[in-house]
Amino acid sequence: MSFSDGASKSSSKSSTKPTYSRFTQQELPACKPILTPALVMATFIVIGITFIPIGLSHLSASENVVELVDQYDEVCIPADSPDPDVVYSKRIGYIQDETTDKTCIRTLIVPKKMKQPIFVYYQLDQFYQNHRRYVKSRNDEQYRDPSASAKTTNCEPEAQLSEGQPIVPCGLIAWSLFNDTYTLSRNDVALPINKKGIAWESDRTHKFGDNVYSKNFQNRSLIGGGKLIDNIPLNQQEDLLVWMRTAALPNFRKLYGRIETDLEVNEIIKVVIQNNYNTYSFNGKKKLVISTTTWIGGKNDFLGMVYIIVGGVCLLIALVFITVYLIKPRPLGDPSYLSWNKNPASVQ
Amino acid sequence: MKRYVYINDDNLAKDIYCDNRISNRKYTILNFLPKNLWEQFSRFMNQYFLLIACLQLWSLITPVNPASTWGPLILIFAVSSSKEAWDDYNRYLLDKKANEKEIWIVRQGIRKLIQAQDICIGNIVWLRENDEVPCDLLLLGTADPQGFCYVETAALDGETDLKTRSIPSACMGIDVDLLHKIKGVIECPSPNKDIRRFDANMRLFPPFLDNDIFPLTIKNTLLQSCYLRNTEWACGVAVYTGNQTKLGMCRGIAEPKLTAVDAMIDKLTGAVFVFQIVVVIVLGIAGNVFKDKQGRKLWYVQYPKEGPWYELLVIPLRFELLCSIMIPISIKVSLDLAKSLYAKFIDWDVEMVDPETGIRSNAANQAISEDLGQVEYILTDKTGTLTENKMIFKRCCISGRFYGNESGDALTDAQLLNAASTGSADVILFLKVMAICNTVIPVRSKSGTISYKALSQDEEALVCASARLRMVLENKNGNILDINFNASPMQYEVLDTLEFTSDRKRMSVVVRECQSGELFILSKGADETILPLTYSGQQVRTFAEAVEQYAQMGLRTLCLAWRKLEEDEYQEWTSMFKEANSTLVDRERRVAEVCQRLERDFEILGVAAIEDRLQEGVPETIEILRKAGINFWMLTGDKMSTAIQIALSCNFVSPEPKGQILIIDGKTEDEVCRSLDRVLLTTRITESESKQDVAFVVDGWALEIALKHYRKPFTELAILSRTAICCRVTPSQKAQLVELLKLCDYRTLAIGDGGNDVRMIQQADIGVGISGREGLQAARAADYSIGKFRFLKRLILVHGRYSYNRTAFLSQYSFYKSFLICFIQIFFSFISGVSGTSLFNTVSLMAYNVFYTSVPVLFSVLDKDLSERTVMQHPQILFDCQSGRLLNPSTFAGWFGRSLFHAIVVFVITIHSYAFEKSVMEEVAMVAVSGCIWLQAFVVALETNSFTIFQHLAIWGNLVGFYAINWIVSSIPTSGMYTIMFRLCEQPSYWITMILIVATGMCPVLALKYLRYTYRPSRINLLQQSERLGGPILSSGIIEPKSRSSLDKDIPTDSVYEPLLSESPSATRRSAGPTQRLDSVQSQSPPHSTHTRKDN
Repeated sequence: MSFSDGASKSSSKSSTKPTYSRFTQQELPACKPILTPALVMATFIVIGITFIPIGLSHLSASENVVELVDQYDEVCIPADSPDPDVVYSKRIGYIQDETTDKTCIRTLIVPKKMKQPIFVYYQLDQFYQNHRRYVKSRNDEQYRDPSASAKTTNCEPEAQLSEGQPIVPCGLIAWSLFNDTYTLSRNDVALPINKKGIAWESDRTHKFGDNVYSKNFQNRSLIGGGKLIDNIPLNQQEDLLVWMRTAALPNFRKLYGRIETDLEVNEIIKVVIQNNYNTYSFNGKKKLVISTTTWIGGKNDFLGMVYIIVGGVCLLIALVFITVYLIKPRPLGDPSYLSWNKNPASVQ
Repeated sequence: MKRYVYINDDNLAKDIYCDNRISNRKYTILNFLPKNLWEQFSRFMNQYFLLIACLQLWSLITPVNPASTWGPLILIFAVSSSKEAWDDYNRYLLDKKANEKEIWIVRQGIRKLIQAQDICIGNIVWLRENDEVPCDLLLLGTADPQGFCYVETAALDGETDLKTRSIPSACMGIDVDLLHKIKGVIECPSPNKDIRRFDANMRLFPPFLDNDIFPLTIKNTLLQSCYLRNTEWACGVAVYTGNQTKLGMCRGIAEPKLTAVDAMIDKLTGAVFVFQIVVVIVLGIAGNVFKDKQGRKLWYVQYPKEGPWYELLVIPLRFELLCSIMIPISIKVSLDLAKSLYAKFIDWDVEMVDPETGIRSNAANQAISEDLGQVEYILTDKTGTLTENKMIFKRCCISGRFYGNESGDALTDAQLLNAASTGSADVILFLKVMAICNTVIPVRSKSGTISYKALSQDEEALVCASARLRMVLENKNGNILDINFNASPMQYEVLDTLEFTSDRKRMSVVVRECQSGELFILSKGADETILPLTYSGQQVRTFAEAVEQYAQMGLRTLCLAWRKLEEDEYQEWTSMFKEANSTLVDRERRVAEVCQRLERDFEILGVAAIEDRLQEGVPETIEILRKAGINFWMLTGDKMSTAIQIALSCNFVSPEPKGQILIIDGKTEDEVCRSLDRVLLTTRITESESKQDVAFVVDGWALEIALKHYRKPFTELAILSRTAICCRVTPSQKAQLVELLKLCDYRTLAIGDGGNDVRMIQQADIGVGISGREGLQAARAADYSIGKFRFLKRLILVHGRYSYNRTAFLSQYSFYKSFLICFIQIFFSFISGVSGTSLFNTVSLMAYNVFYTSVPVLFSVLDKDLSERTVMQHPQILFDCQSGRLLNPSTFAGWFGRSLFHAIVVFVITIHSYAFEKSVMEEVAMVAVSGCIWLQAFVVALETNSFTIFQHLAIWGNLVGFYAINWIVSSIPTSGMYTIMFRLCEQPSYWITMILIVATGMCPVLALKYLRYTYRPSRINLLQQSERLGGPILSSGIIEPKSRSSLDKDIPTDSVYEPLLSESPSATRRSAGPTQRLDSVQSQSPPHSTHTRKDN
């Protein structure tokens, strides 16, 4: 009886029936895993079983690395006062004096046979290459592009000479280039250190230009670290390239060179160090490191240890779970645990 | 304020009032950018991000390229601005179309075609059939000789039936040609948005009529956006134009609703912000101290001896920028995307398509789906919402005789048919009132059948019923009604219609029988408004009993009455009526007063009872939702006994022994007060010791007193009682009740279907409209519109619940991943001289937020913790959502702890495995980022309950994507990351490190989750287990009442700290304490409460 004109119109308007698909109806086939005791225990056991061998092999690899570490910052500097303040200022005076001979001789004994290639590193402690002022103070474009030598953005305060000529390479990182040198000899025979190819290949080919030459470098009154050779392109001065790969941690090692002969057990190595670099003003440490590598790289016990610990803990957890499960089995999905199925009397 | 409209005056009005240019635009081309930006930046989050982005422009303090913030920020702004711009452009196009439509108007006495936007106030506009009305018009003439025309007002109020409009009596009979020259003045109110009223006067200038003032009502108007139907032409004078039309004034921008989840996220964001400030201050001070103690000794850093004045601020500001990632910039975008998908799922749901009409559900408000899962109170309308609003005449009682019984309704009752055909006087009169006293329009179709168009379903039912009983309303020709009774035609002239208003609750017509010239007033209305108006001496007891009896059956009752009028009495009255009708101020009250004078000394003819059947599935829906802990209030305009009956039949209240109905009534303030106190006392006792299901019933009058004078006890009652039935309430009272519950901090959902529910729907946290027979008005005002009441359970239990769960995970996860990377930055600052260096580069930081961590979690919007079936079987599981178990400070603390733990794992393992000769900045950063990405993939995987193909793709594909992106970036020679990723992937120790990070990070989480899952499972866990292991859990189905005492308010919602896991089963619900005691079955009601039971 009712006049259905309007109704039918409105329904035809909105009756564009939603197209059925499993996505729109939220009915996509789904896998719904639940944490069954078996699954969880199996997971932990598998982790435990796989982690312990990995950890052990890692540890043994680390064990196979032969590493010689020699801290020389303290011994290579005269310090004859009991008062630390006096020592501090004397050391700074010493290291900043360009005229004194800073040669220092150390002898090292090879503890185990070292197979070539043997890597020579210098290690600095408490040196913040990751400091905000430091890490930003560079201009990669200038290093790469010979025509961009005037681009010194971000390089302050080592951007330009006072007359306005740009410094190449600019920035604090380059300016503070590490400049201790090591000369090694074995049984009074010089042990050559190959310094070719110590920088990343990508740095040599892309990051630093092959016709970018240093200009006005270390020419300001304040002299930082090492100097560069003005007529050799930057990308061949690999010490700079290595140094410019800033370290993320305050204690870091950087590659100094490679020894390409094997070293035998108990061989005595004489190291002549030119102790130029100032770590004394901030009480940093300097170490010479001679080390072999394995598949894990240099010596690193941490990963192996943690693997064994994690694996062990997982096995332990699995064991505990199994014990608890056996002592106090609890069926999953027991309806009596649903609060609305609980007997109210028992809930008080 | 009044407005004077001079009809057809070409010179005057132009300057004073606006033209008919419609503009719904928010912006113009010029002000778009500033205005839109201003709007966006009025939000705190955006201000914060802008501040951060601006600080980043200062190269001294920025840790990374400003692009890492500007990029996402600009992207976010661009997306929301272009959405706004697109919407606005579409509005502009619509406006333009409307404005440039060609319209016939009269200028200088000649009909001209102009664009709609050039219509001025006072212009006479001509419309043809099916034209849209361009502005608000006062009708002057129509093609119909009686001065009627028909309009469809669907665009205005959603009512799809045709309405009649008539020209004012002053214009009656004016010739078409003269209409071009008509002059006069209309006095009308200033533009307002009341589409039901137009209280104005008109005075035509000579020579048309002398200075007589004629009243005008809404019946004389054609409002903008209506369509002229079934009328050849009509013309009218423009009274409101442009944006000042009734429609234009109605068009308000609804205030955006904020969900409880949003509020919680805002609160947590605030807390994170405070935490961030603390971190920044601590690190800032530490940084400055380190700088002075140690930093100046670092010669290679070259700290200047004397810094600028702001030097002390530099380091704290750097840390502020470093820590700014703590508040995830992506959370807003992710949530918006997720929410629009929730809304789409609602739109797409085929199970919520009304099979009869094909009307599908629609989420008009995309932003509040989570709130559906947290609903605590549902306030529902009765007619059309719970019931079908298909009225069927069922029973009647004519002068003491009851027609219709259990076996059949009155229409098939042989006695009544017999009485009708034999012409029993009482029955004939009764049928006459049924056929005449209404506003139904009969429409004769070509085949000769008559159909009725009625505003009110009740009237339609009555007219149809009278037609079946041989009293056929055949034609309505202006004021003349043709009635055909037993094949003998009768004519009546309708002199006045005393309209129905919700206050009067009755309508009457004054008619003259054309043959005899006798005058009658015929009246129908609610029993309480008709029965007191009888002439002294008539016995109304039978009728009152009939009403009671019918109401008990859940029928709607109408009392029919009549009286003969004397000519002079009518004449005297009609002039008063006219005067009252032409008042501008308080017209409704004046008219009601005048009507009262005629509506007296009635003779009651009988009672008609109309059935309104319950919609399909209503009792089941209500039962399930009540099990889910949702409290139901029924707000209806119907009478108390009908309401109670309906309430019982649709499971609102449990039947007799368990359920209890307490009634608050009383005529005076004192009575109401006493009644309220008594009910409150009973409810308190019942709530505290017995297991009863208490409902209170209150009527509109008592409610008004209670809300006005006894707000506090009433509020307490409202909190204590799970169910309430409010009858005889007005639309504004409905809204007031919503407000009351909202003030008590409950999430309310209002559901209704008619125009009288609109206010309640807009007031509630969530408004649901049923696209029903009363038009679309409610559905338009609502946030969600559904076809049938029974879809509500799916809307809440499925869509609301999933939305809440998903948002809870999504938002907390967003914070987790931001914390994770931020903590690593903070840890790194301790080994970089507290100088504020960023470990990560710009690309990684930006991509971390935008791609790596956002993509997998976005697919958690497909996650389903429990299947829909399980949820429907165990609606109680909604408790967890209602009480906010999945997103609260304690779960947030869990995520916070997890991110801290994971940050430590990633950081410690990274710096130890990449120590010494490997500690190249770029490599260490990449290792740490990869560690985070691996961990987050496993975190998402562990927290995902159901893996669809999309989730697998997103989680594992994202890992692949991470490497792909980084390989690409690593192959660009100029990028800072050149070759880094290739180098790393070649190293076995990189992969060993990743595996270690994942194992160390996830094993404790997995172990804890397993322990909790097995030994202290949450309800969701239990259901998951049973659902997936196959064993069905049979819930005992006890309705667990929620008890809420005012004490509960003091208990913090969830105060348990739960490390590492996101669920906190031991968290207490707001009402957990007393709830448990209430849910065992007890059959006996305590004696002390029985005295309040209604005795009939």
